[in-house]
Amino acid sequence: MGNFFSSMFDRLWGVNKEMRILILGLDGAGKTTILYRLQIGEVVTTKPTIGFNVETLVYKNLKLNVWDLGGQTSIRPYWRCYYSNTAAVIFVVDSTDKDRMLTASKELHMMLQEEELQDAALLVFANKQDQPGALSASEVSKQLSLVELKDRSWSIVASSAIKGEGISEGLDWLIDVVREEQL
Amino acid sequence: MEKKLKKFLQNATRVAPKISKKGELFELRNGLVSQYPQTRKDAIKKTIQQMTLGKDVSSLFPDILKNIAASDVEQKKLVYLYVMNYAETHPELCILAVNTFVSDAQDSNPLIRCMAIRTMSMIRVDKILEYVEIPLRKTLQDDNPYVRKTAVICVAKLFALNKELCQELGVLEDLVFALEDSNPMVVANAIAALSDIYSADSSVVPLPKLIQQHVSQFLLALNECTEWARIIILGALAEYTAKDSIEAGEIIDRVTPHLQHANAAVVLASIKVVIKNIPKIQTNVDSPIFSKISSGLVSLMSTPPEMQYVALRNIRIILEKYPQLLSRELRIFYVKFNDPLYVKLEKIDTLVRLVDPSNLKQCTLLLAELKEYALEFEPEFVSRAILALSQLGVKYSDVKFIRKVLDIIVELCNTRDSFQDDCLISMCNLLRHAGHEEDEMITQVCSLAQVWSSVESLLQTDYAKCNYVWLLGQFPAKFSNIEQKLQVFIDSFTQEESLTQMSLLITVVRLHASLSGSVLQNLLNLATTGTDEVDVRDMAIMYWRCLSLEDSNDDLINELCNSSLPEVATTLDTFSPELLETLLAELSLLSSIYYRPVATMTKFNMGSNNGLKNKQLDELQFLARDEILKNMNEDNLLDFDDDSNSATNTAVTNSSVLGDLNDLFDFTPVQPQPVEDSMQNLSLKPKTESSTTKSSNTKDLLDLF
Repeated sequence: MGNFFSSMFDRLWGVNKEMRILILGLDGAGKTTILYRLQIGEVVTTKPTIGFNVETLVYKNLKLNVWDLGGQTSIRPYWRCYYSNTAAVIFVVDSTDKDRMLTASKELHMMLQEEELQDAALLVFANKQDQPGALSASEVSKQLSLVELKDRSWSIVASSAIKGEGISEGLDWLIDVVREEQL
Repeated sequence: MEKKLKKFLQNATRVAPKISKKGELFELRNGLVSQYPQTRKDAIKKTIQQMTLGKDVSSLFPDILKNIAASDVEQKKLVYLYVMNYAETHPELCILAVNTFVSDAQDSNPLIRCMAIRTMSMIRVDKILEYVEIPLRKTLQDDNPYVRKTAVICVAKLFALNKELCQELGVLEDLVFALEDSNPMVVANAIAALSDIYSADSSVVPLPKLIQQHVSQFLLALNECTEWARIIILGALAEYTAKDSIEAGEIIDRVTPHLQHANAAVVLASIKVVIKNIPKIQTNVDSPIFSKISSGLVSLMSTPPEMQYVALRNIRIILEKYPQLLSRELRIFYVKFNDPLYVKLEKIDTLVRLVDPSNLKQCTLLLAELKEYALEFEPEFVSRAILALSQLGVKYSDVKFIRKVLDIIVELCNTRDSFQDDCLISMCNLLRHAGHEEDEMITQVCSLAQVWSSVESLLQTDYAKCNYVWLLGQFPAKFSNIEQKLQVFIDSFTQEESLTQMSLLITVVRLHASLSGSVLQNLLNLATTGTDEVDVRDMAIMYWRCLSLEDSNDDLINELCNSSLPEVATTLDTFSPELLETLLAELSLLSSIYYRPVATMTKFNMGSNNGLKNKQLDELQFLARDEILKNMNEDNLLDFDDDSNSATNTAVTNSSVLGDLNDLFDFTPVQPQPVEDSMQNLSLKPKTESSTTKSSNTKDLLDLF
C-alpha cells in the first residue's frame, strides 16, 4: 500500500521523474568516456559502441537518464528513435579531428532540425583538449557554426574526458537551463 | 473496500497506458518513452500482453529496445522476450541492442548473462552474429555451469545460422572441451550440440571419435543430471561400441539403474544402450539383465496410452531380437476395455508375438483371452483378434490346439454375421499350416463355406475372396456345385482385384478337367483381354500356351497345378536382419514407430539438389537414347534383307551414334561401356562432330545404306 502512496507522491512532486539527456557525436569523439566519467567518475576503457549505453545518475537532486548513442555512420540514422521526450542534447566533438568538423557540423544541424528536439537544450563539448593540436572552444564553435542557432539555449565547453576537465562545468550549465525550462 | 482503493490508487498513480482514440500503439509508445520508470515498465508489460494475444506490435520495436538496458531483471526479461519475437521484422534496428547484449553477457547475474547470449545466438540477424564472438567466448568459459550450458547450446545455434563464422571463431573446439566439464548438464548439452552439428555436417566434428574418448565422462555424468540430459547422454552412449566384454559389462552396470526411471524416454534410451552392449558380453537367456529390461518395459505399460503405443512399437522390435524376453509378462499386455483402439491393436500383436510357443498353459490362456476379444464390438479390433487366433494356432503348431482354434473360429463365424472375411482368411491360414492331413478340419471348414450363399457379396476383401477360391480349388471334393460357385466369380472377373483373379485362374486351370470346356476358354479370354494387371495376363497366357501344347498337355498342367504349396510356418511378419539391427540401434526414435530407418526418412538432406539434378539428367539421357534406338530400329527394318555384313555395320553405327549422344550429354562413366568404345574404333563411318541432333544422326544412318 505504501508503495502506491509513494509513487503517487513521486508523481506529484516529480521526484521520480527522469530527465532524458542524449550524448551524441561522431564516432570516437569520447561520448562513452564522458558518460562513465559522469556516472562513476572514472575513465573506463571503451570499445566502439554498437547501439547505446544508458545510465541513470542523480546530479544536484535531478534524476538524469543519460543515453550515449553509438556514433558510427551506420548507427547515426537511428538516433532519431531516441529523440522523443529529450530534455537536452550533449554533442561531443573531437577537437583534434579537423577533417571531420564539417561532418560533425552537418550531423548537428540536421539533428537540431528535428521537431522532437525543438525544446531541447544543447551543450557542446569540445573534447580532447588534453591532446596536442586541439582546437579551442571558440574555434570549434565557429567550425560548427553554432552562432546560427536561434531560439535555443546552447553553450560550448572545452573539456577533456580523460582528465575530467570541463565536464562538470558543462553539466552544471546544462542542469541550470533544464531546471529552468522544466519548472 | 481496500481493493477498490487499491484499484483507484493504482489507476491514479501508475497511469498504465489506456486505450484512447489515438489508438493502442500510440498510447503504448507514449508509455514506453515516459519519463517515469514505472510507467515504462507497465507499458512494456502491456505490449508483451498484446504480443502474446497475437497482435502485431512490431512497430514498437525501437521504443521497446530503448528499455533493454535496465537494471530490473523482470523488465529485461520482458524486453528480451519481445526482441526474440520481433527481431526478424527489424533486422537493421537490432544492431542498436548489440552493446547491451555484449555488456549483459558480462553482467553479474548469471540469468542475465544467459539471456543475453541465448538471445544473441537465436535471433536470425546476420549483423548481430558479427558481434557474437566475444560474449560467446566469455560465456563458454563462465564460472557458472548454467551459463556454460547455455553457451554450449548457443554454439550449435550459431552453427545452424552461420556455419562458416562458427568454424572461423573456433568455438567448436570449445565445445569439445566442454565434454570434459565437471558439470553433467554442460556435458549433456555439449554432446547434444555436437550431435546436432554432426547431423548437419559430419565433416566438421569427429563425433564418433569424441564419444569414444569421453565414454567414462558420460557414465559419470549420467547419475547426476536431469532427465533430458540423461536421454542425450544415453543416446550418445548408444552410438558407442564397447571395446571388449569388460567395458560392455561396465556400461550395462552403469545404465541398468536407469531402467527404473520414471521417465519413459530415459527407460527406452537405457534399454537401447543395454541392448547394444548385450551381444558383447556372454549372457544366457535367464541372465538377470534380461529380467531388468523386461521390468523396465513392463513399467512403460502403466503410462498414458500414447506412450504405451510407442512402447509397444519398440517392444515389437526388441521381441524380434529376444523373443523370450517378456514371455512371463503376458498378462501385462492384456487389452483393457478402455484402451484406445490403436493401443488395443498393438497389444494383440504383441501378445501373439511374446507368447511362449512351448508353454501350453500360457497359449491356452491367451486363446481364451483372444476369444473374448473376438466377441467385442469394434470391427477393427475383432477382425484383428480373429487373425491373432489363427496366428496363435500357427505359432503353437499342435494339431490338437489348432483344432481348438478352428472350433472357436467356426463358432465365431456362425454366431457373428459380419466377420466372414477374417474368419475365412484365418481358417485358410490354419489349413495351410496343418490341414493337409487333417480331413476332419478340412470338412469342417468346407462345410461351413459350402452353405454360404451369394459369396461374392458376403466376402468383401480381395484377400478373402482369393482364399475362398483357393479353398474351392484345393478341396474340390468337399464342395458341390463347384462350377456354379466359380461361375459367380468368373462373371464378375473384371471387377475383381488381382489376387482373386490369379487365384481364380489357377483354380479353373487345375479343375478344368471336371469343368465344362467353355468355362476355361471363357476365363482365359477374360484374363488375357479384360484386365490391366500384367501379372494376371502373363499367367493366363502361360497357362493357355501350356494347354494348347500338342503332346500330353494334361501331365504338364497337373504338374503345374498340383505341386503343393509350401506349408505356412508363421503368419507373423518379420524384419529383415539388417533392418532389425538398424531399428534396434534407433530404438526410441521416431523410426522405431514407423519401422523405417532414419536414413530412409530423411531423403532430402544435404546435396539433395545435386542428386535431383543428376537424376533428371540421367532420365533425360535414357529417354533420348531409347528414342534414338527406336528410330534406328525402324530404319533397320527397312533394310532387313541385307546380308549379315551390313547388319553388323548397323550395329557398329548404332553404337557410334550412341557415342555421339554420350558426348552430347557429357556422359560421365557411370556405366562403363568398353565394348562400345572398342566398336567405335572399328566404326566404318567416323563420328560426325557437328551433327548432334537426333534427326541428323538418323540421316547419317540412312546415308550409310
